Amino acid sequence: MTEEFEGLKILASREAAQRITRRHFLAGSAVAVFSGSVLLAACGGGDKNALNIYNWAEYDDPAIFTRFTDEVGPATTVSIYDSNEQAVAKLESAEGTSGYDIVVPSDVYVGQLIELDLLEKMDKSKIPNFKNLEDQYKAQPFDPGNDYSVCKDWGSTGWIVDTSIVKEPINSWKDFQNAAMGVASGNMSVLDTPGYVAAIYAWGENLSWVTEDEAELDATEDFIVNKFAPHIKAFDSYPGINLAQGNYALSQIWNGDARGGLLSVDDPERYQWSIGKPVADLWMDNWCIVKGGPNVEAAHQWINFILDPDVSFQDMEYHGYHPGITGIQDRAEQAGLEHLDIIFFDDETVSGLQDNALNSGQARRVAIWEAAHAAAGA
Amino acid sequence: MAAARAEGVAGAKRWHLPRFALAAPAWVWFIAFFAIPVLWIVFYAIWGFKPDPFTRIAIGDPTLQNFRDALTSTFFKTFKGTLQISLLGTALCFLIGFPFAYWLAIKVSAKRRSILLALVIVPFWTNFLIRTIGWRILLQPEGPLASFLGSIGLLDGPLRILDTRAAVQLGVVYNYLPLMIFPLFVALDRLDPALREASKDLGAGGWTTFRQVTLPLAMPGVVAGLLLVFIPLTGDFITAAILGGAKGNMVGNMVFGRFLIAQNWAQGSAMAILLIAMIVGTLAVFAAIGLGIRTAIRRGRDVDLSVGVP
Amino acid sequence: MSTIETRSRVDATNLLMGIWGVLVFVFLFLPIAIILVYSFNNGRALLEWDGFGFGGYQAMLDNVTIHRSIVTSLQAAVGSALIATLLGMFAAIALVRRPGRWTLGFLAILFLVMVTPEIVDGISLLIWYVWLGGPFEAGLLRLWIGHSLFSTAVVTLIVRARLSGLDESLEEAAGDLYATPWKRFTEITLPLAMPAVLAGLLLSFSLSLDNTIISNFVSVAGTTPWPAYVFGSIRNILRPDIASTSTVLLLVTLAALAAVGYVLRRSGDSAENVAKTLTGV
Repeated sequence: MTEEFEGLKILASREAAQRITRRHFLAGSAVAVFSGSVLLAACGGGDKNALNIYNWAEYDDPAIFTRFTDEVGPATTVSIYDSNEQAVAKLESAEGTSGYDIVVPSDVYVGQLIELDLLEKMDKSKIPNFKNLEDQYKAQPFDPGNDYSVCKDWGSTGWIVDTSIVKEPINSWKDFQNAAMGVASGNMSVLDTPGYVAAIYAWGENLSWVTEDEAELDATEDFIVNKFAPHIKAFDSYPGINLAQGNYALSQIWNGDARGGLLSVDDPERYQWSIGKPVADLWMDNWCIVKGGPNVEAAHQWINFILDPDVSFQDMEYHGYHPGITGIQDRAEQAGLEHLDIIFFDDETVSGLQDNALNSGQARRVAIWEAAHAAAGA
Repeated sequence: MAAARAEGVAGAKRWHLPRFALAAPAWVWFIAFFAIPVLWIVFYAIWGFKPDPFTRIAIGDPTLQNFRDALTSTFFKTFKGTLQISLLGTALCFLIGFPFAYWLAIKVSAKRRSILLALVIVPFWTNFLIRTIGWRILLQPEGPLASFLGSIGLLDGPLRILDTRAAVQLGVVYNYLPLMIFPLFVALDRLDPALREASKDLGAGGWTTFRQVTLPLAMPGVVAGLLLVFIPLTGDFITAAILGGAKGNMVGNMVFGRFLIAQNWAQGSAMAILLIAMIVGTLAVFAAIGLGIRTAIRRGRDVDLSVGVP
Repeated sequence: MSTIETRSRVDATNLLMGIWGVLVFVFLFLPIAIILVYSFNNGRALLEWDGFGFGGYQAMLDNVTIHRSIVTSLQAAVGSALIATLLGMFAAIALVRRPGRWTLGFLAILFLVMVTPEIVDGISLLIWYVWLGGPFEAGLLRLWIGHSLFSTAVVTLIVRARLSGLDESLEEAAGDLYATPWKRFTEITLPLAMPAVLAGLLLSFSLSLDNTIISNFVSVAGTTPWPAYVFGSIRNILRPDIASTSTVLLLVTLAALAAVGYVLRRSGDSAENVAKTLTGV
């Protein structure tokens, strides 16, 4: 169209060089943007006194990070992952170069990280607040000496029901299954993690959710993939925020998320939460120090900071899970926090909860999870 | 050629760079940071295996076992679903985008054209994820769209589009529509209006002109648009993950899951290669069909535009 | 057929097309508008409207991670756009002016780059970076390389498309007039290709800003770009500060484009050319 004209223009006029040409302007602005951003970055955090946390998203009160910087010093950055597997994969691929100082893996994944030599041994003399943890949350099977991990919080799994749609009471995983395949069909969600999808069957039969028995796994696959999956509307690990939108009539859910959901609706009586019956799991997320991280000192300071009862309480208000600190339940009751029954469980219930394990059945459970995805999507 | 001439005239010996010299940096870049890394994936797919639940990958003897493991019925189901979404999505992008691009390039006055074109790109300047999240908000069962439709009486009860295949279809069409509009616009804009006028002067009606003059000349743009939409759409899994719930399972999700959740890099690599093969295979099929159609059309056309078309 | 009938049929078509155009615009802007509205969501979760307020903006201002991610995104975008434009421009010139047996191989690798899903790129690059070590542990370098792959292919194709439509006679004429190859390049070829080069530059810049998957895999602590941050939030809980940040980013982008457009306009370019440059056509 105007190409020849433009070409002629260039041949013809020398004074075009006097004007600001597009080329110069855009090149100039590119340099400006770049130097501007370098400056920003420099004054923002060229600080050697820093801390890089690799965490689940929105898992801690942002105000706590600010408080940490104010009270202790280091400026924190948070990077996000959305599954334990992703975190392990990232750390393993990086082989110490990831740049993260702290990571927050769940129970058995701590074991895996230890085995892969990706965690730094903690200097407990720098973490005096360790004594604030209740004994039953120390010395876990995946790290008996608490050399590599410290409890961040723990929780369990259950369901939340919209009683205006699901009128029958849900008192067991079997009831959950029946409602999911019945009145809530096409309107329910399950957690998007392999173990939990398989667990819907296992817990319904009161079996171990980390079984290695081939026959049990076959039965799980047959039920979940062939009968259950087509009724799933979504694989959603955070259905709590969907309550107010009425996205799901029935959801498999973690306790803290259920609490968050109930706090967000105007009519919480409409929804019924219950921890899994007859049995559920006990998962524990832990603070760990990444091997090869640049700020080991700051990492220790952070862990000590977060184990302080005040800080821990503030964080608990935000995420709704039990942080394992001594006396926190009394404190919560005194403060009049809502839905305490979703954070704190009686000893009998807790003693019945199953632990996680990464064993030979894991590959099978992952395959079942994947097949469930495909079957649900068909 | 001109350099040779200059050499002859000036009499000076000039050092000739090889023909591809200017492209050499790009060559090196691609080899170093695309070809070699991807060869790792091929390496893992054929020589890799997963020895135990804790290790991602180990190297063994070459085998096609990973491919066999990847080609499960689950995979085929998802493959079919992915192709459905991407083919329908590409077709919809074309059906929506072509009239729009035509309107913009030919019907709109030159003055307004540029502003409108700039407006089309504005959504593109918002992050892909954010745009998709915007749809998630809109399509919520009791969200803004539901309220609006309910208030005008078109909807009774909650809106049940989210977490279905329809939502994914809508999302991908939305996200890739600009990629269809732009090449189409460029192609239609370059068209010399004189050709269409000539056609009309020779007595052809609007539709005939379109079929025999405009469309064939715009074909490079059409092909570009189809490719620019189909290829990334087939590998996309984010739109499906955000809008589709359980119903939006695409092959990309499977690859992602196999690598990151199952931590089976050998099988994940095999699946990734299968995904590439899927895309290339579909393109080959359509290229063949396209060539066939083009030959048939060329034979039946009254006006031969093959002369002088760049 | 009488002219009046033809005319009114044409008018009807024009009207319908105009309506279609408006509908498409509404469609394109609908989610953007919603994000803008929900950036004022005063609730805790983005998806749940809880009254009008500036909570999201306040959270955005407090969130250092978000600030850092945006700075990283900008730095990555500038670097990778420059790389992609330089590599792509020269490659395109070679493709058009000096084709040969190598052309097919090069086009094949370009094709492969564009056909490969990003997830493959991301994972393979991560493996490669870790194996290489050294300077490849730096987050920004990783992003520059990762983002520049697809962009280089795109720039090459855009510039090639433009150059192949142009006559070589201008360059030959310059050669006849004793211009050295270098002068020929800077004074003829480059200016002729410039609109496409600029288009490629802008497109590479926006592609880099939007790049999610590769960023997610290769990024290092402290240099996580904005889309990777959003991606992480999606599988967890979305907060209003994401909508607020997004709105601010969009407004800043529009302001920057408007400023560029204004300067170009003042320097004499017609409005049409300005818009064409900015949109990369």
